[in-house]
Amino acid sequence: MTREAKILLCDDEYPILRAAEFKLKRAGYEVICGNDGQEAWERIQEACPDLLVTDYQMPRMNGLELCKCVRSLPRARDLPIIMLTAKGFELSIDDIRRDYGVTRLLSKPFSPRELLQLVDDTLEQINQSEGSNASEVNDIIPTKQAEVMP
Amino acid sequence: MSRIRTISTATRISLMMCALGALLVAMPIVLPCLPISLKFMPWIIAVLGLLASCCGGLLAWILKDQQRQSETTESFLHRISHLDYCDVDADQIEGNLPPVPNNHPLLKPLRSIEKRFAKNFEILRDAEHSRAVLDIRCRRATMQHEQITKVLSNLNEAVLVVDDYDELIIANSSAGHLFGFDANSTEHRALTQLVKCERLLDLLAESRSLKSASTRTDEIQISNDEGKSLWYSVTASSIEPDEEPEDSLDQMGRGAVAVLRDISTQKAAQKRNAVFVSAVSHEMKTPLSSIKAYVELLADGEAEDEKTREEFLDVINTQADRLRRLIDNLLNLARIEAGVVQVNKENTSLNELLEEAFHVLEPSAAAKSITLVSDLSQLYLRVYVDRDMMLQAAINLLSNAIKYTPPEGRVVIRSRLDDKQVKFEVEDSGVGLSEEDREKVFDKFYRVKKNSQMASGTGLGLPLAKHIVTDVHQGQLDVRSQLGVGSTFAITLPSVGQMS
Repeated sequence: MTREAKILLCDDEYPILRAAEFKLKRAGYEVICGNDGQEAWERIQEACPDLLVTDYQMPRMNGLELCKCVRSLPRARDLPIIMLTAKGFELSIDDIRRDYGVTRLLSKPFSPRELLQLVDDTLEQINQSEGSNASEVNDIIPTKQAEVMP
Repeated sequence: MSRIRTISTATRISLMMCALGALLVAMPIVLPCLPISLKFMPWIIAVLGLLASCCGGLLAWILKDQQRQSETTESFLHRISHLDYCDVDADQIEGNLPPVPNNHPLLKPLRSIEKRFAKNFEILRDAEHSRAVLDIRCRRATMQHEQITKVLSNLNEAVLVVDDYDELIIANSSAGHLFGFDANSTEHRALTQLVKCERLLDLLAESRSLKSASTRTDEIQISNDEGKSLWYSVTASSIEPDEEPEDSLDQMGRGAVAVLRDISTQKAAQKRNAVFVSAVSHEMKTPLSSIKAYVELLADGEAEDEKTREEFLDVINTQADRLRRLIDNLLNLARIEAGVVQVNKENTSLNELLEEAFHVLEPSAAAKSITLVSDLSQLYLRVYVDRDMMLQAAINLLSNAIKYTPPEGRVVIRSRLDDKQVKFEVEDSGVGLSEEDREKVFDKFYRVKKNSQMASGTGLGLPLAKHIVTDVHQGQLDVRSQLGVGSTFAITLPSVGQMS
């Protein structure tokens, strides 16, 4: 598949950010990075990406707060969002989907292969569906259940 | 008695007349010249007198007998009326009464009275015995009631007892305080009027309704009369009625008892524990995520050049170290909190210890072009500490100061003797702390959000230092700080004698 999409990566842990950026760039995606939610939000306002991959726990603005801001922006209302998290959510999964518009969840520790697969699947699903709600959610993908790409 | 006296007098008079008659009878014999009319008159008088005296004597004898009988009856009745059932047994009554002759005209009624008294004495004695038994039971019950009331009133747990009509019959002061009613009131009140907690009412009703003895337990939240919501563990049990009550008053019916124990502290501890476990899990997964990601990149051959490979291996190594430090800090904290850590205190020089910490952190400070200054007291400051632990605390404070001081900044470590207490401080020209952050800075895993970019950390360094100083060494660790200016962390330790 062609990977011409622009992906915004957001995580306050530099090694994780670097690993994800490395993998997605090598796969052909254009990748821009943010070190926290506030920085990511500023970048989205400048130029909306095709997909947002964000951590949950970050300084200044966490992942859920970022999602809320994104969904308030008309041109970013359908932006697919993948959230990475190492921490159990206080809210239920349904609440996260409904209230924050998160498209997919990926639990940490994750493998870069899983992340690439998830990005590919999400973008393909968005491209194939016409007028479908980008915040339609699929399951949380825990690491051990992720399909390992050869 | 007067009648008998009268009759005796009359008899005497009759006898005198008889004697006079006899004299007059003897007179014609003695005096033959008396007229005939005078000869018979004395005979008549004598006979009459004799007759009168006989009658009088008989009458007197009868009356005396009657008097004797009357005295016997009077004596009998007087005696029997003064007998006390407490002093005389029923079978001893006869022995305490005057004898009644068999020919006494009132023998039967008197014996009947005697028997009736004997029977009544028995009844009275039985009643007295029963009264004594009841008195003992009553006292025992009162004493038991007082003991139970005392025990219940001293319980922290709230106790409620209801009868089979769901009326409250017993409540202790803890229950009264919890639900806001007077537990000392003796009036039976409907429980639903006093307790508004539906779950508690259901538990009691369920316990009562089951046919066999049962116990129900649950954890419920109750707002006390101050409006504070607290967690309680409730145990509700049915109270079986007596199968063989001694009397109808013992028949209570099927009641129920509920005991409520405040578990708010445990719940809060469980919640803190859950939060802590969640935080630990997150903190461990973070370096693990990096390790996993870079191992996979290397395994997939993504690092095409040596420089990239070196970079990836370095990340793996750094993150592995981070994980190790995290685990070490967690273990140390856990051991200190559990009180199982091996503590080896000895008299040691504080300044020597601080100099060692200074040398450990010199390279880190130099890497950031931070001026590290040692301002130690000229006095020999002797402290009684576990050297390794206190060194760790000093290193943690210095490390923290260096992390959160921008390059070209300044960190000073100083020691002094202050009013017989030994103090050492780490002062930095770093980013400082807000009021809110200052209060939380010693919490486990707490890291100031806006500063987290400046340095990595486990969020356990300061909590560990605090535990070492306060829990192990009974010292104090405080912080003064001004946002944007810097912070000073100060440790105070008890002095064990100083030398200049």
